[in-house]
Amino acid sequence: MNVTAPIEEREFKIVGKSVKRDDVLEKVTGEAEYTGDVKLPGMLHGKIKRAATAHARIKSIDVSKALAYPGVKAVLTHENVPRVLHYGSPHPRSASCTKDQYILDDKVRFWGEGVAAVAAISEEIADEALDLIEVEYEPLPAVFEPEDAAQPGAPLIHNVGPGGNLVLDPVRVNRGDIDAGFAQADFVLEGTFSGGRPHPAYMEPNVCIADWDGSNKLTFRTSTQTAFMVRGILAEVLGLPLTKVRVLVDHMGGGFGAKQDCFQHEFLCALLAKETRRPVKMEFTRHETFVAGRSRHPCKVWLKQGFKNDGTLVARDMKLVYDSGAYGSHGPGVTIVGTNAATSLYRCENVRLEGRCVYTNTPINGAFRGYGVVQSYYALDIQMDEAAERLGMDPAELKLKNVVRAGDIAPSGHPILGHGLEICLQHGIDVLDWKKLRNRDRTPDPKHPHISKGWGIGCEMHGSSAYPGIKEQGNATVKVNEDGTVTLLTGAAGLGTGAHTALAQIVAEELGVRFEDVGIIHGDTDVVPWDIGAFASHTTYLVGTAAKMAATKVRGAVLERAAMKLQVTPGEIDLSEGRIFVTAEPGRFMTVAEAMGPSRGIPAANIVANGTYEPTKSYSFAAHFTEVDVDTETGIVEVKRVIPVHDIGRVIHPIAAQGQIEGGIQQGIGHTLTEDYIIDKKTGRSLNAGLVDYKMPLSMDMPDIETIILEAAPDPGGPWGAKGVGEDPIIAIGPAIANAIHDAIGVRFHHYPITPEDILKALREKGA
Amino acid sequence: MRRFEYHRADTLEQASRLLTDLGDDTFLFNGGTDLLVEIRERLRRVRNVVDIKQIPGLSDITYDETRGLTFGALVTVGRLERLPLVCQRYPNLRAAFASLGSIQVRNRATVIGNVCRASPSADTIPPLMADGAFIHIYSRTNMRVVPLAEFFTGPGKTVLARGEIVTGITVPPAGDNTGKAYLKHGRRKAMELSTVGVAVSLCMDDGVCSDIRIALGAVGATVLRAPEAEAMLRGTRLDAATVKSAANKATEECTPISNVRASADYRRDMVGVLTGRAIKQALEAFA
Repeated sequence: MNVTAPIEEREFKIVGKSVKRDDVLEKVTGEAEYTGDVKLPGMLHGKIKRAATAHARIKSIDVSKALAYPGVKAVLTHENVPRVLHYGSPHPRSASCTKDQYILDDKVRFWGEGVAAVAAISEEIADEALDLIEVEYEPLPAVFEPEDAAQPGAPLIHNVGPGGNLVLDPVRVNRGDIDAGFAQADFVLEGTFSGGRPHPAYMEPNVCIADWDGSNKLTFRTSTQTAFMVRGILAEVLGLPLTKVRVLVDHMGGGFGAKQDCFQHEFLCALLAKETRRPVKMEFTRHETFVAGRSRHPCKVWLKQGFKNDGTLVARDMKLVYDSGAYGSHGPGVTIVGTNAATSLYRCENVRLEGRCVYTNTPINGAFRGYGVVQSYYALDIQMDEAAERLGMDPAELKLKNVVRAGDIAPSGHPILGHGLEICLQHGIDVLDWKKLRNRDRTPDPKHPHISKGWGIGCEMHGSSAYPGIKEQGNATVKVNEDGTVTLLTGAAGLGTGAHTALAQIVAEELGVRFEDVGIIHGDTDVVPWDIGAFASHTTYLVGTAAKMAATKVRGAVLERAAMKLQVTPGEIDLSEGRIFVTAEPGRFMTVAEAMGPSRGIPAANIVANGTYEPTKSYSFAAHFTEVDVDTETGIVEVKRVIPVHDIGRVIHPIAAQGQIEGGIQQGIGHTLTEDYIIDKKTGRSLNAGLVDYKMPLSMDMPDIETIILEAAPDPGGPWGAKGVGEDPIIAIGPAIANAIHDAIGVRFHHYPITPEDILKALREKGA
Repeated sequence: MRRFEYHRADTLEQASRLLTDLGDDTFLFNGGTDLLVEIRERLRRVRNVVDIKQIPGLSDITYDETRGLTFGALVTVGRLERLPLVCQRYPNLRAAFASLGSIQVRNRATVIGNVCRASPSADTIPPLMADGAFIHIYSRTNMRVVPLAEFFTGPGKTVLARGEIVTGITVPPAGDNTGKAYLKHGRRKAMELSTVGVAVSLCMDDGVCSDIRIALGAVGATVLRAPEAEAMLRGTRLDAATVKSAANKATEECTPISNVRASADYRRDMVGVLTGRAIKQALEAFA
């Protein structure tokens, strides 16, 4: 099936151009106001007392000394906060399925969980007061590995949910006939894979400020991707109508998915402010972003696939176990998405998948760029490379033979419209002259005899929008002002990706005004239309379409008004670059300002329109080609070159899209080689909760990246065929690196991160 | 961040007296790049800091062919890193300085602060030790000079008595017959603490190694010398086989621990690899 759905072609004036982002100057000069920059009169500072035990019942908490400490204004414990059981993620019944969190409980389920909160006149005093809170614990046996937690008789972490420390009932997906599939196989590959616990380490630590006014209304500033979800859960837990909770979020220093959760500190901050009747700010330390933030689910994958000798994949049997940490958070969503993703990528008619998600007494894992798919595609792609090796085939050739194609059913259960993986792969093969690379002279450079070079390919696909898990809705309001400028109101958060710029481009393009004439209002739940949040690579696709719809409507209204003033019919005029002209007589025109403004006997126009869009889903695709150097003496792997070939449909802002791809590659290199948030398996204590020993790649570690963006497979669901790009790059780079390491030194790794020690150990075992 | 008292000293004597009088949990405050982070992260209990940045005479850098390079306690890492003399004559120091923290940190941090912190993984210590540097110490009763190799007594511990202040470091002259290298091994290329650091300073006379010092960072309670490996190399032509066996010997002379950065075995392996590579790099001065 080819793309048949109509996608409007036009000569673009603003879309597809890397216009200057309107927040660049204020960010570079430091004037952009982030939540942490806000200081309110009389503001107190909140701090959280965190447990130094992984699993325990609280026998008693004595806060008398802390309360008596000069400067302390309030102390909260499980004894004096509302006891409301709530979901861990803000997307009930989709990303979460069991209410398993209290604001504060009489039980501790992981080392670092908050057990009390203090508000004081300074951060220092609040911090000092934490030491004065005396907590007596009754220790409980703890489990730190999903395998142990899933054993019969293992200590139970929750008494809600399906039991047996399961976060949700196992996710099972069956297509075709697995037994018949394996019966056709000429050979079978079986392997186990595992992923570490990478942490997003966004630049801006979680921060919020709560402020109650005299009418008992809460204004809540917070660094969140999901302002309306925060509003909803705060209102629910605090027993308030939505009119009494206003959530504000302006600039954000990243989120990567992890800032869409129901965070304990947000409830505590609101309650401390209520108790003291003063504004309270709570800001995580870097240590807290690890311990009390969210990381990627560690995952164990067992994968068995049957192949024919011609490379056809005939059966796929896969079991995945995700480690949720101590609470459910996004565990159900991640398990469902990550497991279902394995129906696809490489075509296979006979599939049996089982995904589990298990509680352990470790810090909470949540949503993070690549949402469960990083884990499952790492296994799928590496095993495809192994199959090629077994067949004596070029992995590029085998991957090309098996990649999903138009008409295939997507993990979401519907046929994919814009299909681009085959094109991406073929494009990379051609650009790099891959065959020649494969057959290159592999003699080491005599100057660096300890360096082995390798090339690898990793493939991925990822959806824009969380459909069908969440039936999404994008909203936008567009107003045309009397001077001809335009205001876009959107609830979409600005994580720092430049999404607002893309939305403004779409409005300007559709309406026919200059990009500079579009202003954006965002991040105020009392003002902007409802928004589901910025996640699932969907802002441009989802909200972009809604904004385009609203712009179409106001354009019609502007033309109608101009027609009246020009004394023609609306069909006779057109609007471009802020000028409305009679099509047959281009010399006869008026500006949008003239059309909108008052004239004798006519007041200024009030033109406002809403766009509401309920999408299904589009898929974006990528093949990453990468070259690595492996130092066989030190085990250090250096990624030298990456050629990421992406299909993301219509590109709205090329530099922003490229930035997403480069950033995803940087993060993915870290996850594959150096980043792992380590929890001590004896105590549950965090061993590297900070940037001293959690090492992300920096600019000096970055390879040359030669980004190629194709617009070969647009999806009719996005504005002019645009699709998402946020999550894709982080998925493909991992297997590309692992495959390149194999190409360099002939050793397969089934886990990440692949450390220098792993490399040396494997080389020794191989007898090199 | 926990609260602390700030004191400013205008003279060494005043600083020394404050250190003595204010008692435990009093620390000199110079670049502050380590101390402030330790206070913030609650790694060090600090009641008082004594700022010495206004004390005159501690910012000098001098070099002469007989005494060598001397710099004061207030000289920042960044200033030395950019000094042409250091770039040309002390490539080992230059490598260590350029690998410490970030550019911003290096413009605040002082070399002597890094040395006095006495971390086994400090980048500046191995090359200074391999070069045979001396530490100048002030006290209110006398001044003393201590070889850097004798300065450290354990992780974070030095021979400094209460009230003593390091005022400068002297590094012996770098003659034309010397070769120097410092190799840092970490998990990434910048903003990193050493997993292992190896410094080699050697002298070659007529193709024969007349002297060599090897200093090993992050593989013991203090930065270590590798005397047996050095002895194997002295008087040889540093041929590949001798270098290899000496590098192996160095792996036996270190006492690394396992932590989240690396296992003890891996660190030991890297001592071997880096010692060989550092000698090779030091010899490039004569190529």
